[in-house]
Amino acid sequence: MKNNGLTLKIFLLIVLNDIGDTIAQFFMKKGLNQVGINDIGLGNIAEFAVKGSSSPLVWLGILVLILNFFLWIVILSRVDLSIAMPVGSTSYIFVAIVAMVFLHEHVSLLRWVGIALIVFGIHFVSQSTKGGREAKT
Amino acid sequence: MIKVLFLIIVAEAWTAVGQVLFKKSTNSIEVHSLRTTGNMARFIKNITSKPMIWVGLLSMSIGMVVWLIALAQADLSIVFSIGSIQYILILFLAHYLLGEKIDKMKLIGTLLVAVGIILIAIS
Repeated sequence: MKNNGLTLKIFLLIVLNDIGDTIAQFFMKKGLNQVGINDIGLGNIAEFAVKGSSSPLVWLGILVLILNFFLWIVILSRVDLSIAMPVGSTSYIFVAIVAMVFLHEHVSLLRWVGIALIVFGIHFVSQSTKGGREAKT
Repeated sequence: MIKVLFLIIVAEAWTAVGQVLFKKSTNSIEVHSLRTTGNMARFIKNITSKPMIWVGLLSMSIGMVVWLIALAQADLSIVFSIGSIQYILILFLAHYLLGEKIDKMKLIGTLLVAVGIILIAIS
């Protein structure tokens, strides 16, 4: 059966999973920024589809997400979701930092408070799933 | 903002349905510890023979496309944070479709996530 203790190796795997998530989202956003369409409607959705699907960065992001999905399955086969999910929720903090530093987004104090509430909320949700086997995206 | 919010919810709904179908698939087969390569191979063989897992993958792919349409139109730090709405969607889908219990802890957690999302949406 599963070893429910969080060993250093598994902890590092979860952090790697978070970093993978963050990098994937960063690649996708960077690619979409290069596509340069930031208001999509019925009139330009076809153009967006063509340009978006020819962006290597968008595909790279999707590839990282798929690899990350397998890593997540491996993590869940070793520890319970109640352990993996709270550590995994730090990706919300990582993404905000990466967006600030590398995409020059302005993250206001209110947005940080919102992110903190989300991370706390995920901790609560996961603490009741002891023995549960739900999966994360 | 309303348009982006709507797109994120649609994307996460497709993703959440995909998750539920995945879970239904793994519930329908016998799963042994995945630590050995043999068990892992058997798991992959069993799970890929379930049509539901492929429908789940299709659902997730649609979710990914809608996600990209949302991501193109707003800051990453907004879209990704609001994406946490998946925790709320999955809580209710898992309850109604998989019969998983909603207890007080889950409800409090979901409420905190919801308040966080609202703060980000109005920021």
